[in-house]
Amino acid sequence: MDFSFNSAELFVLLPEIMLLTLASLVLVIDAYVPDNARNFTYQLSQGSLIATMLGVFASMPQQTTYAMSGTYVSDPMAAILKIAILAVVFFAFVYSRSYLRDRNFFRGEYYVLGLFATLGMMIMVSASNLLTIYLGLELLSLSMYAMVAMHRDSKPATEAAMKYFVLGAIASGMLLYGMSIIYGATGTLDLATLATTATSSGENVQMLMFGLVFLIVGLAFKFGAVPFHNWMPDVYEGSPTAVTLFIASAPKIAAFAMLIRLLVDGLIGLKSGMAGDVESVYLGWQGMLIILAVLSMVLGNLVAIAQTNIKRMFAYSTISHVGFLFMGALTATETGYAASMFYAITYAIMSSAGFGMIILLSREGFEAENISDFKGLNERSPWYAFLMMVTVLSMAGVPPMVGFWAKLAVLNEVIQAGFLWVAIVAAIFSVIGAFYYLRVVKAIYFDKPEEGAAELIINEDKSLQTALSVNGLAILGLGFFPSALLTICTAALVS
Amino acid sequence: MIEKYIFYFFAAILIFAATRVITVKNPVHAALFLVLGFFSSAAIWMLLHAEFLAIALIVVYVGAVMVLFLFVVMMLDINITVVREGFVRYFPVAMLVGIIILIEMGLVLWNANAGLASPEAINAFANSELPNTEVLGNALYTVYVYPFEIAAAILLVAMVAAIALTMREKRQHKYIPPEKQVFVKREDRVRLVKMAAEPKD
Amino acid sequence: MLVLSDFLILGAVLFCLSVAGMFLNRKNMLIILMCIELMLLSVNMNFIAFSHFNADIAGQIFVFFILTVAAAESAIGLAILIVLFRNRGTINIEDLDSMKG
Repeated sequence: MDFSFNSAELFVLLPEIMLLTLASLVLVIDAYVPDNARNFTYQLSQGSLIATMLGVFASMPQQTTYAMSGTYVSDPMAAILKIAILAVVFFAFVYSRSYLRDRNFFRGEYYVLGLFATLGMMIMVSASNLLTIYLGLELLSLSMYAMVAMHRDSKPATEAAMKYFVLGAIASGMLLYGMSIIYGATGTLDLATLATTATSSGENVQMLMFGLVFLIVGLAFKFGAVPFHNWMPDVYEGSPTAVTLFIASAPKIAAFAMLIRLLVDGLIGLKSGMAGDVESVYLGWQGMLIILAVLSMVLGNLVAIAQTNIKRMFAYSTISHVGFLFMGALTATETGYAASMFYAITYAIMSSAGFGMIILLSREGFEAENISDFKGLNERSPWYAFLMMVTVLSMAGVPPMVGFWAKLAVLNEVIQAGFLWVAIVAAIFSVIGAFYYLRVVKAIYFDKPEEGAAELIINEDKSLQTALSVNGLAILGLGFFPSALLTICTAALVS
Repeated sequence: MIEKYIFYFFAAILIFAATRVITVKNPVHAALFLVLGFFSSAAIWMLLHAEFLAIALIVVYVGAVMVLFLFVVMMLDINITVVREGFVRYFPVAMLVGIIILIEMGLVLWNANAGLASPEAINAFANSELPNTEVLGNALYTVYVYPFEIAAAILLVAMVAAIALTMREKRQHKYIPPEKQVFVKREDRVRLVKMAAEPKD
Repeated sequence: MLVLSDFLILGAVLFCLSVAGMFLNRKNMLIILMCIELMLLSVNMNFIAFSHFNADIAGQIFVFFILTVAAAESAIGLAILIVLFRNRGTINIEDLDSMKG
């Protein structure tokens, strides 16, 4: 790889440079902010996110542009995913404010780490080199481990942090081992060069496949796909809800980007086995993704039924959503990736609304994390009962919510690509999955609160209420006009 | 030929040290065996003409990371017997899993020939005019300057996170400044209260 | 003459030892953190060997960054471990059962 640089390249990196500068600035300013004025740090962080988003718009590329000697790529997909990530993080910060303040860990470091995690996600989205992907991923992961442990006096939170850390580190190790083998077999770290040198017809095919297996295992760990999902329910349950919201929403968009960058931009040559006929599909990463997707959808949906804790239930539902995300990617077609991208963004929006609702009903000393805590919500507040219903029905994939269109788009692509049986399994288990979502709806509308149960109190933070309403309406609105977002995703990925 | 013996010598020490890391009872010993492992790896990296990284491994890893480990081991009061429970029970499973993975990996790697480069190219690369540190630096500050900047952010995050997680604000001591204490008079501290006697019941 | 597979097999042995170590010491978080270091060492061994036999500096650059990140990672890992110990008085991972499922 040759070195080339001109200062105009820095403009392509504008969003990352802005966010890094602003996050460092927030860190320094926060040190001088007294404890009772912590709100100022919060406002600065939100301002940084908005400014970065303007930066993304300003540096929006017309076509794929490489910068920094080919370690950075800017293309329409990257720009759209960055905007989605920044918007979701913005909402996650709004939700977290009153939660952190009530529980006495409203600290500047939380927002600083959140901003650095966002920077890590943006780096992953724009990576075009194995090294950049790895570093972006680590920047994101390290910030998230610390955010989970931030509530230092909470036993479940520190346990969750330790589990998250150990499993995350093992996943990184696997991913790195895979990267090292692929580097060895091709002699390059650059994804664009890999796309031409790493093919299943070349000499080093055995080594490449060997590396690919480790790479996929590492990816599956990070996504939480079955059978590498064990950490997810514990981490989702143990983390403070505000942090669960953060790690369950925007990072999934970044993970999707990592999947596309690694497998499609880099290792497209390994999508199927040596011969190139239908059977050989099962030998490449398409086959590996099929196994992970099917297992995730089956196990995620079945185990979710048995859960009484809503955070655990969302964790298992995430596992099944990951199955859907993989399904779009395993088609190895551009429209399939677009459907998957649509799914990832939709999922992030639904997930932040779901966890936001838990935050809305929780207060210090009481977490509304059991499904039974939602009983009688309709009598308390019809509006939030309606929003919660919209959110869970969207997760279940009931029309006309946006979740339905996302599932439909993915299923359509899978059938088009010729994997009818995978689509049938997905459809069956989505219907089974609808059962546990309906249980939540039943609790909200038809059950009376249990005797002696803590009274439901709606959090009075106005910005939280507004954000949640906007978020819920977005699910409904996108459900009525799904083509708005789907067209953008398709335009970004289909050349 | 001598290289081969050097390699096998250090590889044997490295494998021995790694085995002891996972089987030894006392975490302090485990950390010290890990240090031994890093030293032997550094020697093997020297054989591969990666001098800078070999030195960095010793300076950064042994000098900083392992010392950090030792600090933590000694700071925490660990009950070794509890921690060792289940070791014997898991031993056969762990060995089996380890050996199976090793055999599978070995089968693939035995005949690995990444060798895209010709022996002449390898030789030229290993014995280039520039010292290893300079070659590394040239690449690091030109082609890989973007990852370099990201690494800076990662180190900053590690610092912020470690401090945010472990630093405790000073406890609220009932501390009395001595220069004020010496001027305290009896009237400031003792107050006589007149109370009516209460009848016994 | 040393060949590539010598180094790769050494890396594989280290990798397997670290995986076996995590199985063996699942109660001791400290040893698990050390096993993670071993795993990264095996990856580093691979990268340096490939870098040499591919006559390409990029592998060594990657190791440089892995060393940096691993240092940051262990700092955070140990910080979490200390917080955990303060809260529970143990680093026994199987004691981490306050969550059911």
